[in-house]
Amino acid sequence: MTRVSIDPVTRIEGHLRIDVEVDGGAVQKAWASCTMWRGIETILRGRDAREGWVFAQRFCGVCTTVHAIASVRAVEDALQLEIPANAQYIRNLILIAHALHDHIVHFYHLSILDWVDITAIPKADAARAASLADGYSAWTGNSRAKLEEVQNKVNGLVGGGQLGIFSHGYWGHSAMHLSPEMNLIFFAHYLEALEFQRKACQVVGILGGKTPHIQNMAVGGVMNAINLNSLATMNMDRLGTLQSLLLDLIPFVQQAYFVDTCLLAASYPEWFHYGRGVANYLAVPDLPLDAKATQFALPGGVIVDGSLGSVLPIHDWRDEKFRDSVAEDVTHAWYRGDGALPPWKGKTEPDYTDFQENGKYTWVKAPRYNGRPMQVGPLSNILVGYATGHSLTRKWTDASFNKISAVHGSKTTPEDLQSTMGRHLARGIRSSMLCDLALEHWQLLADNILRGDDTTFNPPQFPSHEIAGVGMHEAPRGGLSHWVMIEKGNFSNYQAVVPTTWNASPRDAKGVPGPYESSLIGNPVSDPAKPLEVLRTVHSFDPCMACSCHTLDASGREIAQVKVL
Amino acid sequence: MSPEFDRDYSRIAVIGIGNVLLGDDGFGPLVVETFHCLYECPSTVEILDLGTPGLDIAPYMYDIDLVVIVDAVNAEEEPGTLCVYCEAELFSRHAQLRLTAHDPGVQESLVQLKLAGHAPKELIIVGVVPMSCVLGDGMSPSVLRASTGAVDRIARLLVERDVDCRRRFAPFQPNLWWLSGERSALAASA
Repeated sequence: MTRVSIDPVTRIEGHLRIDVEVDGGAVQKAWASCTMWRGIETILRGRDAREGWVFAQRFCGVCTTVHAIASVRAVEDALQLEIPANAQYIRNLILIAHALHDHIVHFYHLSILDWVDITAIPKADAARAASLADGYSAWTGNSRAKLEEVQNKVNGLVGGGQLGIFSHGYWGHSAMHLSPEMNLIFFAHYLEALEFQRKACQVVGILGGKTPHIQNMAVGGVMNAINLNSLATMNMDRLGTLQSLLLDLIPFVQQAYFVDTCLLAASYPEWFHYGRGVANYLAVPDLPLDAKATQFALPGGVIVDGSLGSVLPIHDWRDEKFRDSVAEDVTHAWYRGDGALPPWKGKTEPDYTDFQENGKYTWVKAPRYNGRPMQVGPLSNILVGYATGHSLTRKWTDASFNKISAVHGSKTTPEDLQSTMGRHLARGIRSSMLCDLALEHWQLLADNILRGDDTTFNPPQFPSHEIAGVGMHEAPRGGLSHWVMIEKGNFSNYQAVVPTTWNASPRDAKGVPGPYESSLIGNPVSDPAKPLEVLRTVHSFDPCMACSCHTLDASGREIAQVKVL
Repeated sequence: MSPEFDRDYSRIAVIGIGNVLLGDDGFGPLVVETFHCLYECPSTVEILDLGTPGLDIAPYMYDIDLVVIVDAVNAEEEPGTLCVYCEAELFSRHAQLRLTAHDPGVQESLVQLKLAGHAPKELIIVGVVPMSCVLGDGMSPSVLRASTGAVDRIARLLVERDVDCRRRFAPFQPNLWWLSGERSALAASA
């Protein structure tokens, strides 16, 4: 038995420690520990409910818009305040652009170097790579000249020993087995992704006033002024700019990113057999299609024990079952108490011990849905959509299965998606869906404005008695909910149950582990000193613990990354 | 103008990094907000509070000629000490930055942008040594005092590079919404 501690896990947002016990080349036990205290909710208690979103969007450095939106939705829910259709569409477009940005960065910049060996790129035949890539996709970035240019840059890095930040990769690891040509294609898209990441940011910036911290949110709608005759407001010109940015971004997502997730799956099909973990899935409905939020473009629901035949739908944001089912357990987290509390009654009182594998070992609480751990994220999204016959989900999931089969000849099923590779595939599928939906919701907004509706805001009125609300949001990393209690217009309690809390959850009172922990059981580890395979599974969740302190370290102190004990 | 700055900077970004909810970690956002209120710059200069963007900083440095990053830094100096680094120092002295617990992703983003051919021509870090980065703690007086020096330092760095950056005749009131009343007043008067 070998004990491996990875602290911190790199190429994620924030601080995460993973401990695994390895025996016979596979993980037998695992612990996920978040090593920084969040609990930023305590800052919100007592504040004006109308300004909560300004603080909430500082919870996390990369998930800004999602906390802003969940916060205003929670207050609106408590007030039962309807918001104008324009406000729904503007928020939807922000959700979409932010998610596309996030999924692109996650796949290329945070994950792909687990699979792509940079040091193999000099051996690639660029001409062959170009013709291979051409056969897979119509993407214009795959020309021989472009690939040669990338290869030359990498030759300089590898040949001159100038790998720099890339010098810590597990290059030459036995679990890396792409051809040099495939390595080159993926890395070329890694570099191209930067340009498209930027375009997605620009969309958020135009709608939100600023990015990454949007300025346009309000309890009751959005603060965007709409006036087709004014240069300073949302007008046809602005709408046109938005549309052309989306049209620039979409081909990269659908022809490069989406295809790359399929190529990765076709190249590493064994990863459909690892990383399943908790097979309970939770997705919340999002992208409302009307002012009253009765219809949604993305369906919500719950799947238990991987049983795709029976989805318990979450129809809308007022779903009573959802409200009654969520509780957070602190038995193994560094908080006072030892049971589970519903978020509205949630407490966040720190009680730090050391890392005690049978006691408390993380700052993350253990959220449970009817007592069960749940997996959240694009995979939950896609499984709920696929299982309920959602046509857009089916369209892109089937396209993905067909692409894999065209490349590799193998058949992929929705069952296969419940895996490490499935999570990457699901993110690519969701991104392609969001591209279609971006144009649809742009059209809904434009049509509504052209019909003469320029309202974006309904003013809130706060009662003097205590009210409670929950704001749901299907964030890039999964189902997010903010739970608020409001008295005389100020928050009396505030709890955010964030996607990474669901996924990075520790064990609960019954000793049942969370999704990261159980997904690692059986995960191969060929060399405990280089636990690349563990990182593959952890990264596939898109961990984000970034609601953490951040200081540029000028001393160059190193923290031991991997300890084999 | 000295020849070392003989560069055509048509796009400039002054970027504040840090979490405003975590005490002295909010130094970057505080300084860029104050800079924007006290100094007037041409439209080629973007002033941005990016919070804690990690790798997401890359799009904001993409094709920008000069990037000034304002941030809290860990250095062996007294809290409140201003430290200014150029890009070469960032790389030569701290090549392992990416593995540290507090990595903001600046280095990795720079390497990506270099490989992609869209990196800044010049990068400067204006840093302060923090006293405490604890939730809801407000900012420590020494770090608040250092912010004045940082604001003027940024202006000087820009002027040295021929940027038409000048004190506003009528300064704006900085919007430091995250600081409670007395701290905010102290920051505004600093």
